[in-house]
Amino acid sequence: MTRPIYIALIELKRYLADRGDLAFSLALPIVLFALMYAAFGQDIQFSGTAHIIDQDRAQRSRDLVSRLKQSDVVDVELHTLEDADDALDRSAILSAIVIPAGFTSALDAGEPVALTFKRRGSGGDEGQIVASIVSSVARDMAGQAQTRRMVRDELDDSIAADAEIDRKLASLFDQARETPPVAVEIRTIGGSVDFVDRMLPGIVVMFLLFAVTLGAQTLVEERRTGTLERLMTTRLGVNQLFAGKFLASLARATLQALILLSLGFAILRVAGPWVFVQIMIFILFVAAAVSAVGLVIGAVARTRDQAAWFAVFFTMFMTIFGGTFFDVGDTGPLAVLSKITLNRYAIDAMVAILGEEEGILQQGLGMAVLGGVAVVGLVAARFAFKTTEGGR
Amino acid sequence: MPDDFLVAADLTKSFDDLRAVDGISFTIRRQEMFGLLGPNGAGKTTTIRMLSTVLKADSGDVTIGGHSVTNDSDAVRELIGVCPQELALYPELSATDNLMFFGRMAGLGGAEAKEATRSNLDRVGLLDRAGDVVDKFSGGMKRRVNIAIALMSRPQLLFLDEPTVGIDPQSRNHIFETVLKLRDEGMTVLYTTHYMEEADRLCDRIGVIDNGKLIRLGAPKELKSEIGDPEQVTLEEVFLNLTGRSLRD
Repeated sequence: MTRPIYIALIELKRYLADRGDLAFSLALPIVLFALMYAAFGQDIQFSGTAHIIDQDRAQRSRDLVSRLKQSDVVDVELHTLEDADDALDRSAILSAIVIPAGFTSALDAGEPVALTFKRRGSGGDEGQIVASIVSSVARDMAGQAQTRRMVRDELDDSIAADAEIDRKLASLFDQARETPPVAVEIRTIGGSVDFVDRMLPGIVVMFLLFAVTLGAQTLVEERRTGTLERLMTTRLGVNQLFAGKFLASLARATLQALILLSLGFAILRVAGPWVFVQIMIFILFVAAAVSAVGLVIGAVARTRDQAAWFAVFFTMFMTIFGGTFFDVGDTGPLAVLSKITLNRYAIDAMVAILGEEEGILQQGLGMAVLGGVAVVGLVAARFAFKTTEGGR
Repeated sequence: MPDDFLVAADLTKSFDDLRAVDGISFTIRRQEMFGLLGPNGAGKTTTIRMLSTVLKADSGDVTIGGHSVTNDSDAVRELIGVCPQELALYPELSATDNLMFFGRMAGLGGAEAKEATRSNLDRVGLLDRAGDVVDKFSGGMKRRVNIAIALMSRPQLLFLDEPTVGIDPQSRNHIFETVLKLRDEGMTVLYTTHYMEEADRLCDRIGVIDNGKLIRLGAPKELKSEIGDPEQVTLEEVFLNLTGRSLRD
């Protein structure tokens, strides 16, 4: 029983000695992961600059500027009117907001007051969004001022001083923000919109599918160079040979997936260690299935090119029809077709585990299908080898 | 223990319409160096593949050390070592790794394989390059590794299929000496080559194959005497006389 293990070890050693293979199968996942992280790993967030001309220079205008400065999405630059006009003329800035003199007194008195939005052309997307944010903050301040005034009017002057009313109102506004009277609930129709939850399993499964090509070519290459025939003249049994090749492919595919998944979990922080362990366990089933398919192709193919084309066709079919990077749903022709692919079972299970909707124990169907493919594939590969010249 | 270590009886093998081996029969005695000569496509390699359990004969049988290749191939594999025509090794691995691997596949334990690796690398003059990657070796060195691998199973019968193709005279001479030493140590050898002077120098008996048939069998001197004075006639002249001068594939 040590011979299959020895075959697997020597195959891994050959794999690690071949820099081309190594670069392709280990460095590529890292590069691909970096690209994925750059594309989907961070939230896209607006960031803009509010160019403010404060002609009021009183408490409420300073409040407005201060609130804008506290915002995560807006930086504030203060200008004089002349500087701002000059910058607008030169297109150095595309928009500016003027807080007029008397802004504070008008707000406190409940009189109408207008901020002026000066812009070059349309002001650009950034200018329009910044104007909208400034308007929103100003309206919020106006609403608070109006509320404060109404409360004061309703109360006897001796009961509450302005400062006390302001403190009480601030507390009430904070409460309102925490439990808003009107909340917005987002419901997504047609599957998750979380790209990472789908992309990460998709890319992992893609790389596992490369094991089909590598496994198939290994066997064909051994036949081409004569080492396979040489092995057949030793005391090595054919079953031992296939067990060794299978173990080697399984180990190689699992190693690739381990690297990719470790990066995913470490950098994207998609889930905790227990989820990682569960996904790695499931990956063993996927790797077993694809390794067995690789051996079938290797046993059937006569040339390296044949093996490569069979493997590419298999990989493409699985990737396209298996819903690798998008949800194929439960109905429709694509959903039906996807049920004959390994990817469907692999990715559905991994997405469920990654999203912590289900655990490894709930993936019985996926594990049964993938395990079945592995067993049937090994038996088929063994019989296919028997029919080849020099096989037995 | 029978004197004839290998007995091939009426071996036949066809590939589609081509009859590659057509009723070949011969014996190889224990500790004999037997040469199998023939033009390209004559059926030499197909014959060796059948003798070494790789290919199943359409008809006929072979016994090696009393075991049938057809019915008792596992026992036969314990007696043979095969050095194929092509360099059947892993170029990305070191010489040691290659020998260790095939030694383990031949059933040797770890320590046994290690010792056999050392002694066989020494035998082919590569002990000082044991840890080097085979891919960096010269053609002659790779050929010697190819032979050393065949010796890892400690075979009683060694098949050497054109072991000196495309190598320099020094490496070829080293291989000659290695093979002669193996014979002196009691190994039986089946040797195929295109180099007639090689066969003349090394082989006790020679079988000439053409078009899948064994057309002549005998000691080099006997074969040469068929067309003239054995001291004057070369084996190449005998060969051309038997197989003709027309070009082959």
